[in-house]
Amino acid sequence: MIDAFFLAISPSYLMFMTIGVLLGLVVGTLPGLTATMGTALLVPFTFALPTGEGIAMLGGLYVCAMFSDAIPACLVNTPGTPAAMATGFDGHPMVQQGRGQEAIVAACFSSALGTMFGAACYLLLAWPMISIALQFGPPEFFWLGIFALTIIGSLAGDSILKGLAGGAIGLLISCVGISHAAELNRFTLNIPELRGGVSLVAALIGVFAVPQVLSMILGLRKQEYVAEYKSEKGVVLKTILKVLSKPVHFLRSASIGSFIGILPGAGSPIAAIVSYNEAVRWSKKKEEFGKGNIHGVTASEIANNSAAPAAMIPLVTLGVPGSSPAAVIAGALMLRGLNPGPELFATDGTLVYSFGWSLFIAGIVVFFIGMLATPLLVRIIKIPLRLLAPLIMFLAIIGAYAIRNNIFDVYLMLTIGIFVFLVRRIGFHPGPIGLGFILGPIIEPSLVQALYISDALGVGKIFFSGTINITLISLSVISVSAVAISRIRARKLAKVNS
Amino acid sequence: MKFKIENVIKGALASFIGASMAFTANVAFADYPDKDITFIVPYSPGGGSDQMARRLQPGLEKALGVNVKIVYKTGGGGAVGFSELHRSKPDGYTISNVVVPNVIITSKGDGIGYKPKDFSYIGMTEAAVGALMVPNDSPYQTLDQFVAAAKEKPGMLTVAGVGSTGANRWGGLAEILGIETTYVPVSGGVGKMMPMLAGSHVDGGMTASNHATKHKAIVKALVVAGNDEVATLPGVPTEPAWTYVTTWGIMAPPGTPADIVAKLNSALREAATDASVRDALVKGGYNPIIQTVDEVNAFMDAQIAIYE
Repeated sequence: MIDAFFLAISPSYLMFMTIGVLLGLVVGTLPGLTATMGTALLVPFTFALPTGEGIAMLGGLYVCAMFSDAIPACLVNTPGTPAAMATGFDGHPMVQQGRGQEAIVAACFSSALGTMFGAACYLLLAWPMISIALQFGPPEFFWLGIFALTIIGSLAGDSILKGLAGGAIGLLISCVGISHAAELNRFTLNIPELRGGVSLVAALIGVFAVPQVLSMILGLRKQEYVAEYKSEKGVVLKTILKVLSKPVHFLRSASIGSFIGILPGAGSPIAAIVSYNEAVRWSKKKEEFGKGNIHGVTASEIANNSAAPAAMIPLVTLGVPGSSPAAVIAGALMLRGLNPGPELFATDGTLVYSFGWSLFIAGIVVFFIGMLATPLLVRIIKIPLRLLAPLIMFLAIIGAYAIRNNIFDVYLMLTIGIFVFLVRRIGFHPGPIGLGFILGPIIEPSLVQALYISDALGVGKIFFSGTINITLISLSVISVSAVAISRIRARKLAKVNS
Repeated sequence: MKFKIENVIKGALASFIGASMAFTANVAFADYPDKDITFIVPYSPGGGSDQMARRLQPGLEKALGVNVKIVYKTGGGGAVGFSELHRSKPDGYTISNVVVPNVIITSKGDGIGYKPKDFSYIGMTEAAVGALMVPNDSPYQTLDQFVAAAKEKPGMLTVAGVGSTGANRWGGLAEILGIETTYVPVSGGVGKMMPMLAGSHVDGGMTASNHATKHKAIVKALVVAGNDEVATLPGVPTEPAWTYVTTWGIMAPPGTPADIVAKLNSALREAATDASVRDALVKGGYNPIIQTVDEVNAFMDAQIAIYE
């Protein structure tokens, strides 16, 4: 492991990893360019390099994209990748309050810490963690998805019913297309493009970017800028201290992030959502979340970044990638004739460990590059709305198109966007709808598989036994009842006051 | 002149829009191929189709002189990717994996929208016989133990497979063995099945035998289809009555012009004859195949006749 460390700090490793980080900054910032696409586009270029440098470069891109997707999420309320959805819940209100720099610095610093935590797990705890992760079968994934859905309670805004309805709309739209179990066409209206389902990225751009642009245009006479831009002296240090002042919050978010990162198929978006939900649950100031609480930003960013290196753990221990970018990196290794998995751990341990160290150091590089870029990036909000609105719209259309090179996705994005814009006017929050999109592809197949298995073993044994199932069910029940109780109390209080 | 950030942004915006327009503009037809080719993988990363695409990618790029971009369109046991290819332009710039019999069996789904006869087939590159595998720490270490347990508790053992193709092929073996089990469909492919086996969430998995070779650390094969022992799985019993063979290849959308099909076929043959590709196939437990266009069409006709 020491050899691997010295390899990872050799100039060529550092250089290519840093180039990867710089590319990741661009990839994450542009909505529609996901970490998966970024790594896939970069793979051919890494063939000119030795294996170690090549995958260090891909890893650098991946972890940096998990930070930079927070930038558009905070500044213009449009997540750069699905993983930053929860970051925007508090990040954008912060920007609106003139705390733009604070939001970006918090995202950057917590991303850096999260990456280092995830990489440390990869280096030290790969085997014990994977043995826990393997306990997750279809029913456990189902309950994890349900548990993640309970975040709707803390997102819903004024009406819990509208929150639930929004989540249901998202889940239903995620059902469109050829079904998971048998090959059945559902809700495709005979439109062939819908057979493959609604593209998650296009849908999320529709949910967040389009309503944002439309509101900007509507408010144009009243407002010239997204928010006021203030450059404050010493804000960097102050923000870092704020993040460091909550070690328990950090450990919780990072552990959730790395653990969910390991689960094959779950990945950074789910990690960020669950971590945000837990941050709200454990906070004494629940009502501040969603209105610009810095710890909402850090909870999401710590988790989605620690999930990135952790997603490499199933790859090196089982040969099964834990996330889509990890799958691309697996492909890059296979192209070189290496078989990622336990075999590679045994035959080429230096490569496996140097990759972990590269990810760890990438965390530090993300921080410095992020700090250099922040003053420049925050200035995006200095762009007047009459320029910013068309710019966001332009990027949204390019992003939706680029995912599958299909103009149909652009129409779909616009339709969903206008729909969300309209329901937002009657009090719906876009968060639950986006949440439904992200969680549907986890919940549905695992439910179907678990039901098949329960045909053999009984519903009770599959869904309602086992430590993980019981824990997840109890947590979900606690989440829902806590929200219900606090709402009933608030209503009583309001009655008394009036 | 006063420096105004607004002007800089205006300028940048204008040049960005201009550049992207130039980028997307259609260039007049030249000799095929003159731009990147998109390669659709209909199963999840890490599975058999993905490995095949990755193995052939460098060879295809070299032979065709353009980049080959791999994209994943997973779901519906492969149907999502196949139907995506089905409606792509038949200009040779979109190709995909074809997996037989999966492409034939999935096409029988309701409203799926493609028929196996529609596609323009480029060529098959490898095949592997079916195998039943169990997790390494399974209580059933031999086929006899598995069959005995299944007979003792009919319907209580769970076996995972890929979509309805897996159900069809597993049904065949279960009938031969005279057992009744519960089938669990995995829609994305083998990449999603291995963690389920590693965690013993199902009792067995049924798919092509190459996966048993690649994932020796996770699974143990109990039986393989056909008459001959698989070289990479020595000592695993064979079942001659079970005729499940998975064959991988490349296909293009319906109506692709014959000269483009011929060009892709010769590129594919060049890529597939590369020593490193053949080595990887043999080590991975596959039978390498090289076909002309006529051979692949005859092969597909025969396969369609078997399953229809």
